[in-house]
This record gives sequence, C-alpha cells and structure tokens, in this order.
Amino acid sequence: MRKSFDTLLHYLDVTGQEIKMAFMTMIEYPSNIAGWFISNPLQFIMGFAIIKFVVESFGEINGWNYGQLAFLYGLSVISHALSMIFFVQGWFMGWFVIEGDFDRYLTRPLGVLYQFFFTNINIFGITDLIPGVIVFIYGCAKSGVTVSFLFIVQVIIMLIGATFIRGGIYIFLGSTSFHTRSAVDFGQYTQEIMDKTTMYPMSMYPESMQFILTYLIPIGWVSFYPVSSLLGIDNGLSGGMTTAFITLAVGLLVMFLAGAFFNSGLKKYESAGN
Amino acid sequence: MKKYLYIIKTQIIKSMTYEFNVYGNIIMQTIIMITSAYFWRALYTGRSVVDGVDVGSMQTYIIISSALSVLLITNVERRIGSSVEKGSVATDMMKPINLFGMFLAEDIGSIIALIFQNMLPILLIGSLMIKLPVMADIRDLPMLVISVIESFLINWLIAALFGMMAFTTINNNALIQVKKHLIRLLSGSIIPIWFFPKSVSKVLSALPFVYIYQLPLSIYIGKGDRTEMIFQMRIQFIWLVILSALFFYAQSRITRKVMVQGG
Repeated sequence: MRKSFDTLLHYLDVTGQEIKMAFMTMIEYPSNIAGWFISNPLQFIMGFAIIKFVVESFGEINGWNYGQLAFLYGLSVISHALSMIFFVQGWFMGWFVIEGDFDRYLTRPLGVLYQFFFTNINIFGITDLIPGVIVFIYGCAKSGVTVSFLFIVQVIIMLIGATFIRGGIYIFLGSTSFHTRSAVDFGQYTQEIMDKTTMYPMSMYPESMQFILTYLIPIGWVSFYPVSSLLGIDNGLSGGMTTAFITLAVGLLVMFLAGAFFNSGLKKYESAGN
Repeated sequence: MKKYLYIIKTQIIKSMTYEFNVYGNIIMQTIIMITSAYFWRALYTGRSVVDGVDVGSMQTYIIISSALSVLLITNVERRIGSSVEKGSVATDMMKPINLFGMFLAEDIGSIIALIFQNMLPILLIGSLMIKLPVMADIRDLPMLVISVIESFLINWLIAALFGMMAFTTINNNALIQVKKHLIRLLSGSIIPIWFFPKSVSKVLSALPFVYIYQLPLSIYIGKGDRTEMIFQMRIQFIWLVILSALFFYAQSRITRKVMVQGG
C-alpha cells in the first residue's frame, strides 16, 4: 500500500517537472505561441460558423435545433482539446517507432506509455480549450438547459470518458505502426472523421453506421449519447447519472484495450537499425 | 530540366516504399468520403434542390473533392520548416539546383505516385459505393483541366509562402496549421461556400481559397452557367499571377537572410 502510494507521488512529481519543461519549450519560439493562439481558435470559430450557415440553409438537422447543435459542438470541442493536451502524441507514434525514439523510454524506470505522453505534454492544447468552453457556454444558454450542481458533475464525468475514448483511439491507431513498421499521418484523417461524427448528431447517419459507432468504434459516446441525455433528447437512454457513468466506463474500457494493444506492439519493437 | 525529372523519379520510388501507408490512407479517405455522402443525404431529406444543387450533384461533389484532395497534398511547407530548423537548409542551398524547384519536383513526384496509389482507388470505391460521379457537361473538360492545374499551382504557392515564413520564425508548425485550416474550411472542400450567407460568400470569393477546390468542382458538377465559370476562372488566374509575384519576390528576399541554427 505504502509502496504504491510512493510510486504515485513519484509519478506526480515527475509530471510536475514535465509540465514545467513543456512550458519552457513552449516559450522557445514566440512566433509559435502567436501561431497556435491564432490557428486553433480560428479553426473552431470557422467550424462553428459553418454549422450556423448549414442550419440557416437547411433548417434543423435531424430534429436538432441550432442551440442543441451549439451545445453538442461545444462539448465535442472541449473533449477534443483535452485529448489534444494529453494524447496528441498518439498521432505521431509512427515516427517514434521508425526513428527508434522509444529506446529512450524503455531504458527508464517509469511506464513507457506514461513517458511517451507526458514527456511531450502539449500545453498548446489550451488554445483548443478556450474556444470550446466559450461555445459550450453559448450552447448552454441557447439550448436552455438548467445548470445545476448535478449537471456540472455529469458534464465533468462525461468529459473524462470522452477524452479517454479519443485518447484510446489515437493510441490504437498509433500502435498499428509497431506491426506495420511505417508511419502514417492519421492525425488529419482521424480529426476529420471525428469532426463529422461528434460535431453533428449521429442519428443522421444510417443504422448500420450508428451500430458501428456505438459498439465497435465507440465514437458515439464521445458526444452524441452524453449530449442527448443531458438535453433530454429521446434515444432510449435514461437521463441522470447512468449515461455519465456508461460514458466513463466505455472510456476506461477503450483506454484499457488500447493500452494492451500498445504493450503487445511494444514487444515487437526493435528500434531503428544503425 | 533533367535534374528535376531525376528528383521526380526518386520521389516516386520513395513513395512506393511503404505499402501500409497506401492501404491506411485509402481506408481513412473512404470512411471520410462515405460519411460525407451520408451527411449530405441526411441534410437533403425532404428537400430536392437547395441553392440550385440537388443531392446527386452534391454526392458527385464529395467524391471528386476526395479525389482532388490527393492532387493538393503538399510537403513543401514542412520540408522548408524542417530544413531551416535542423540547419540542413545550408547544404540544400549549396546544391546546384534551385531550392524551390527541388521542392516542387519532390511534391510532383509524390503526387504522381499518389494518383495511382490513392486517387484511382478512391474514385473506384466512390463510384461503387456512392454513385458514379459523371461530369455534368463533358464540353467543359478543357476548362476543368486548366482550372485543376491552376488550383494545384495556387495551392502549392500558398504552401510555399507559408513555408518561407520559417526563415524568419524558425519554427513554422503553427503557421502550417493556420494554412491548413484556412484551406480546409474556406475553400469549399467540405461545405461549398454557396451554402454560406451572401455577404460571407462574397468576401470568400475574393480570397484565393475557393479557387483551389470549389471552382474545379463547380465546373465538374455544372453549377452555374458558362459565363459565370469563365468569370471565376479569370479571378483564379489573377490570383495565380499575384501569388507567383509574391513567391518570386519572397524567394529573392528570403535566401539572403538564412540563419543556421547550431552552426
């Protein structure tokens, strides 16, 4: 018991140091900070504007009105931002594999996956978080939900679950590089698929696709089911805490499976020959 | 010229090395394409024509947009970025060949490989799973070819100009993202700007981005009459000239102020 407590403290200490270093790397190139503070909010402001234009041209999307879509978009961007902060490295795992960069992590006494994500923790993800929170608050006001203590707790639990689902998918896709020995830039594609499936109501897609997105690749749990439950949109799910905990459970399951897949891949890792 | 052809050839061979990349890209692009097709089908439920375009044309638009996106992959911005950051720009500039000519040849090489590895499979999958993307009016074909070539050049020049900013900022990762999002959202590659409010689409048609994706795609699906298309192609050409002028100006300025990190 005491030993595991010490380990935990050690990890927290290292995490603190990593974040400190990440801040230092962040201020290395001042133009870069400016660039991120422009590019990420720009992306989401334009993305949100496009949803508004689509609603103006086409009316309600599958029975979802503008306020509900704003709510969905906001929650989706927040979980995207959190996954960017903690798990974005999964997108680049392929390059770490083919360039042999895992050697460094394997020789150290901490968990490889932990080191992989926290050595390169992406503080710039905050620039995604800010527009996400703004749109979410706007969506709360527009969709007319009552913000209570229970609501906030539900949102937080759902966000943790959603972030784990996204992170797990990145790890899973990245880990394929161990088996294929090649680096594919899945990042852009993953983001595009995620945008289409989490920023619009999933019920607009055909049944077969909804089935896949619910059970096989549980992207539906990132935003669609949680938001339906929060806004009381009928899709056979009960409201209250149940959906929040299902989301969290799905997140933990995806994370666990992705971690197992990563570890099995790591056994095949054989560095870069030189 | 022979030097550039040699670079193109080397790049084609390089692109063929990793087989899995090819399958991975095709699978991901297929998923995106099919999702988009369903997306438009769902938006069009209960409506036959919105802003002069029906659902069939919109699906053709999506398939051709996915295929066109293969031609518009550039690596020049990352290439400049990494060669400035690592300092290998010094050795690159010593080569008896124009630096940007080399980057252009590399990009052309990768695209030639990608046409066979990605573009044709995507067109085939799209025709089988969504619908056969038939061109609206085959007589517009010469216009289509010219506008695609111009859109490739505009896209490349924008990428190169963003890449050149690395010479002053050293690290251009964030700027590359700015460029990526501008093109992704403002070019009509995902949602055509004719669905935007009038004032917004007027502003956007003055910018170069819509002439990268939307113009060739509109010609393909036959949106608008011929005079309108020719008018838009003129604007496209003007943008090509402006961007080329900017590019050559920046090129002559930038190579003078190279700073190599770490010596």
